[in-house]
Amino acid sequence: MAETSTILRRPSGDRKSRTLPAGRTRQHSRLVPYLFVSPFYVLYVLFLLGPTVYAFWLSLHEWAGIGPSTWVGLSNYTRLFRDSSFHGAVTNTLWYVAASVLVVTPLALVIATALNTRGLRGRDMFRVGYFLPMVLSPVVVSLVFTIIFDQNFGLLNAVLRGLIGIKPVNWLGAPNWAKVAIVIVLIWRWTGYLVIYFLAGLQSVPRDLYEAADIDGAGAIGKFRSVTVPMLKPVTAFVAITVFIGAAQIFEEPFILTQGGPGESTMSVAYFIYRAAFEREDFGYAAAAGFLLFIVVFVLTRVLAHFFGIGREDH
Amino acid sequence: MAATTMTRTRRSSSTAGRRARMTGLYAVLVLILIVAVLPLLWALSSSFKPVAEIFVYPPKLWPTHGTLQNFTDLFKNVPFPRWLWTSLWVSILATALAVFFCSLGGYAFAKYHFPGQRVLFDIMFSSMMIPFAVILIPLFVEMAKIGWADTYVALIVPWVAPAFGIFMMRQFIIQAVPDQVIEAARIDGASEFGIFCRIVLPMVRPALGALAVWNFLNSYNSFLWPLVVLSSEEKFTLPLGLNSLVGTYSREYGLVMAGTILAAVPTILIFLALRKQLIEGLTVGSVKG
Repeated sequence: MAETSTILRRPSGDRKSRTLPAGRTRQHSRLVPYLFVSPFYVLYVLFLLGPTVYAFWLSLHEWAGIGPSTWVGLSNYTRLFRDSSFHGAVTNTLWYVAASVLVVTPLALVIATALNTRGLRGRDMFRVGYFLPMVLSPVVVSLVFTIIFDQNFGLLNAVLRGLIGIKPVNWLGAPNWAKVAIVIVLIWRWTGYLVIYFLAGLQSVPRDLYEAADIDGAGAIGKFRSVTVPMLKPVTAFVAITVFIGAAQIFEEPFILTQGGPGESTMSVAYFIYRAAFEREDFGYAAAAGFLLFIVVFVLTRVLAHFFGIGREDH
Repeated sequence: MAATTMTRTRRSSSTAGRRARMTGLYAVLVLILIVAVLPLLWALSSSFKPVAEIFVYPPKLWPTHGTLQNFTDLFKNVPFPRWLWTSLWVSILATALAVFFCSLGGYAFAKYHFPGQRVLFDIMFSSMMIPFAVILIPLFVEMAKIGWADTYVALIVPWVAPAFGIFMMRQFIIQAVPDQVIEAARIDGASEFGIFCRIVLPMVRPALGALAVWNFLNSYNSFLWPLVVLSSEEKFTLPLGLNSLVGTYSREYGLVMAGTILAAVPTILIFLALRKQLIEGLTVGSVKG
């Protein structure tokens, strides 16, 4: 649901106030802007902040979803640290995150650079085609890939056998291949989406910067390093954070493609939370896992944002 | 003479080199395009195949015994039209509300200056970093307590003012609406809400399209929250219904593929119709400041 969240710039209040005509606020009630932004904050308190605080409260209790809850202090957390299922879910999620950030992001940057080649025809067609996977529901995607990954009759094995003659791979039935299969779906779904961000960023880089680099005798790689990478830093930050938050909460792909299996080899943290609450009626335990995920995502997002210099106004 | 020939050959060999590079580039880009689109085409072709033909080796992209059976089964044996209808009206209603609240909030952040603006904006900024999986359990418990569990209200109300939409609209309004226009309307005695409705909204129409598509896609495609909050099968949305097909009709992949194809039709059509706006809307916040 928060797939495309995140942000780059904050309002530059000081600068704006200087350009405001004097006495403007006197012409309307001071309440107006608050009224206009209030729907968000009402929903925020009721359905986001409230539940987050409640998640913490729940995580300190044992509760089966009905009946009274029992205060258990931090024992849900200590249990999580000892739970090998949870360790597995965290490790798997780290794999998904690493693949998304380290494979999808560079791949998208390379494709976008190729699409930005001067004189390229059909750019819009490529852009739309590449973006298409993101338009589909993750459920649709997972169902389609279920038949593509079929060991005996799936399209992927047939193509691989035809091209490089390897034996059929048991994509969804072997623990390590199942992880790879989910990573393949992630790459397929996200790459084109990121391409459009990088391409938009590239198209806003002034051409004369490249021409200046040309005059300095920079080759393709030199230009990429000295012009493209620094100029795209804000977009890369946006993309890295978006992908990170998205991949950290991956649920549909393991849920539909592999049911978290074989064994628990593809179970993600979000799936672990879902299972703890709705299959095992261990609400406090699920809330504790959720709260840990929140802390990790929030801290890492802040670190990433700091690393990329997001939110710093004067640069 | 010799010099001219040399330049000429060098120039022609460099154009030939450029042409070869461009051909290679097109080949790679087209290959990626095929990889991006093929799974969907594969699902489309499978939806017209009898089950026996989906699972043949080697796989055939074009069905030999094309059939509409899967689609007729979808309407006869499965409540597919009801799922589709539910998903459509829930998403359209949620989107209409979100477009209104997001442009209103985005307008306030773009064009008003008020005490606490910076702090309020930062709160919104941070709210996008709360993973949904965290609030999944408490939000579900909350819904159960206020009697919204297993209702469509729970699918709509919490999501009618998404922070990303407010941010997107703010970026657009800063660029597209000059302060002078608002000032002029104020001098003419227009009310603040009147200015928003009659002047700002028409000026940002392309952005409204982008926001609407983005929100519709999110709402129509969402799975985890409906899965948790809806318990009665007759209320299922399309993604839930498709997921339930796998359990009940696990052998009938033709049926499942026909369902996934039909489920994807509205999103693909809307995307193709409004793709320029959507892409510009999504990238405006990340590229331009």
